[in-house]
Amino acid sequence: MADSTVAARTRQVIADLLKVHLDAVTDEAHFVRDLGMESIQQVELLAALEEEFDVEIDEEETAQNVTVGMAVEYMEKIVE
Amino acid sequence: MTDYRRLTEAEIGQLISQGCLANEWHRIEVAEPFEPYRLRHVHFLGDVRIGRLGRAVEVEGVTKTSSIFSASLCNVTIGHDCYIKHVGVHIANYDIGDRVAIVNTGLIVADPGATFGAGTEVEAVNEAGGRGVLLYPELSAQVAHLLAMHRYRPDLVARLEEMIHRRVETIRSDRGRIDDDVEILDVSEMRNVNVGTAARLVGPEFLKNGTVLSDAEAVTFIGSGVVARNFIIGERSIVTQGAILDTCFVGQGCKIGKQLSAENSLFFANCEAFHGECVSVLAGPYSVTHHKSTLLIAGHFSFYNAGSGSNMSNHMYKLGPVHQGILERGSKTGSFSYLIWPSRVGPFSVVIGKNMANFDLADLPFSYVEVKEGRSYVTPGFNLQTVGTVRDGAKWPVRDRRRGPVKRDLIHFQVFSPFTVGRMLRGEARLTKLAAETDRSVEEVAFEGALIRRLLLKRGAKYYRNAVNAWLAEQIMDRIDPVLDDGLDAARQRLKPDAAAAGAQEWVDLCGLLVARDRLASLVDDVEAGSIGDLEALADRLAALHAAYPRDEWNYVVAVWQERFGQALHEMDGEALAGVADLLLTTRGKDLRMILNDAGKEFAVTSRLGFGADGSPEDCDADFDAVRGTFETNSFVLDMQQKLAALEQRVEVFKTRVLAFGEKVPG
Repeated sequence: MADSTVAARTRQVIADLLKVHLDAVTDEAHFVRDLGMESIQQVELLAALEEEFDVEIDEEETAQNVTVGMAVEYMEKIVE
Repeated sequence: MTDYRRLTEAEIGQLISQGCLANEWHRIEVAEPFEPYRLRHVHFLGDVRIGRLGRAVEVEGVTKTSSIFSASLCNVTIGHDCYIKHVGVHIANYDIGDRVAIVNTGLIVADPGATFGAGTEVEAVNEAGGRGVLLYPELSAQVAHLLAMHRYRPDLVARLEEMIHRRVETIRSDRGRIDDDVEILDVSEMRNVNVGTAARLVGPEFLKNGTVLSDAEAVTFIGSGVVARNFIIGERSIVTQGAILDTCFVGQGCKIGKQLSAENSLFFANCEAFHGECVSVLAGPYSVTHHKSTLLIAGHFSFYNAGSGSNMSNHMYKLGPVHQGILERGSKTGSFSYLIWPSRVGPFSVVIGKNMANFDLADLPFSYVEVKEGRSYVTPGFNLQTVGTVRDGAKWPVRDRRRGPVKRDLIHFQVFSPFTVGRMLRGEARLTKLAAETDRSVEEVAFEGALIRRLLLKRGAKYYRNAVNAWLAEQIMDRIDPVLDDGLDAARQRLKPDAAAAGAQEWVDLCGLLVARDRLASLVDDVEAGSIGDLEALADRLAALHAAYPRDEWNYVVAVWQERFGQALHEMDGEALAGVADLLLTTRGKDLRMILNDAGKEFAVTSRLGFGADGSPEDCDADFDAVRGTFETNSFVLDMQQKLAALEQRVEVFKTRVLAFGEKVPG
């Protein structure tokens, strides 16, 4: 099983950035429809995750990560 | 050469019987063959000369027979085959060309010493004055920019104004001029207005102190309800639908209409202005404002688009409307955005929201500026990977409405150029430094009056870095493409700097003309010294600056590459050149894919809200596809995909060729 700390930290970063309650940051939550993320915040989220995990994220690779679950899965893959 | 003669007694008798009047019949001259019955109810005053009548002339698409009915003519010369009918007051002190139609017009008069709009001072950019631009017919965006924006060179301004005053004196006359093939229909009053060849004035309300430039290849149209005072309107422009112009210049190929109100404003090539209001605006080429509730005031714009309700203000302080602002080329303001002057927005940026901060974002081109909780935030470089920037760059060259041999405004259309690349280099450096110096505990940093989220500093620098590298790589590949089959020596020769071109340095945007700063400095020095002594010489020099762009651009590439990568281009071998191609593929390929991703948002679920009214979810998609089409068939998407494929192929071919050079750099 993937490192749940990565998942938890990813969700926390999302919650902090988008200023939503952590409970709302479920795997099924759609960034735009459910969490109200704007285009510019998408860039900021990548930067926040880069800083949280000290990694470099390719924007292109994450462009299709439209839900929290997809983002978590991606982060778990690159952090490992 | 036409021979004119006086009227015979019989002709005078016939004219009188046809309701014509004159106190001094001997001051009337006519051309042969003269047929008196073609003049009815004409009142002659002073010296009147009439050309041949009786041939066909086109009036609003209907062929009529040239003649003069129901008009008072005072000190007027009329060319051949004119059609003049129902002039309510009189035509006085005009020279009218051939095949001119003047119908249902109240008054056309020229006063002694008229200058027809030339010499008018337009208080552009700063409503309170201090940046006045003197008008003359050949005014270009570049000369206007120098006059308005280079007030720190008083000798330059004085010299330019002196040249313009001399030009004005060549225009000053006691007589107005209406050139061949002009139509003037339903004009209430026209005073001190010169009208160029083939111009059509159909229904303007009032025209005073102006020049309508026009020629057969570039016909100018002034339409219904227009009120214009102290103006010059350029060739192939359309000014209509109740537009109000007071102390304005309208350049070539512009469209002004739909009750737009403008004062003390300059509109250069291909500007469009409808509905709103413009005050003290210097609108460089391709500035567009289409919507009601938009106020553009005290600003310098170019390649600009105003969203509906765009607004700005220039006097939050008590000393009057003294503030000014600059939106550099390619920038846009979103619907109901607001900017408080003084501020400067960098090239190709987007401004959204009510911005109450004064900021200078010249070093952050291609950025988004938005407002959150009343504060202005910049996202640097965000506009580098958007559909909008790509579409804008493509649309301007094909929308050049100017025709005819002379295109006065010198325009470089490049989105990426030493000008914007230079700004990105500065932005990259500043953002990188800020990122290094800012502690992680800090959420946002101040940047020249605006704020940047700390997390975006590095990413903004990365966007700029990517864009600069893509541009450099592409320039290098373009440079040696013609000699790819000629071997390494030929390639290296091409990669050398151009000894005759400007050295690498900062570039400036002279309202559409991109030029190395040294070249501009040389021009300014020459004007001040008098070695550029008249407006023609000035125009020639500016044209030379325009033509110098490709060579100067190349030297810029050479210098920046050297500084950035520590590598002299002309010493590269095949492997190094293949590396350049890889760099282009990495950077530009990424850009293209991100732009495709941006385009994809237009087809996402959130873009389908409201579709499929009264139907099922399936109907929503069907409705959307019927109205908007699909991502797969969208022309922009297909174009980007083709560009991506072409890029990949190009890189492959390029690498194959340069690797075949074979030679390695010694050591």
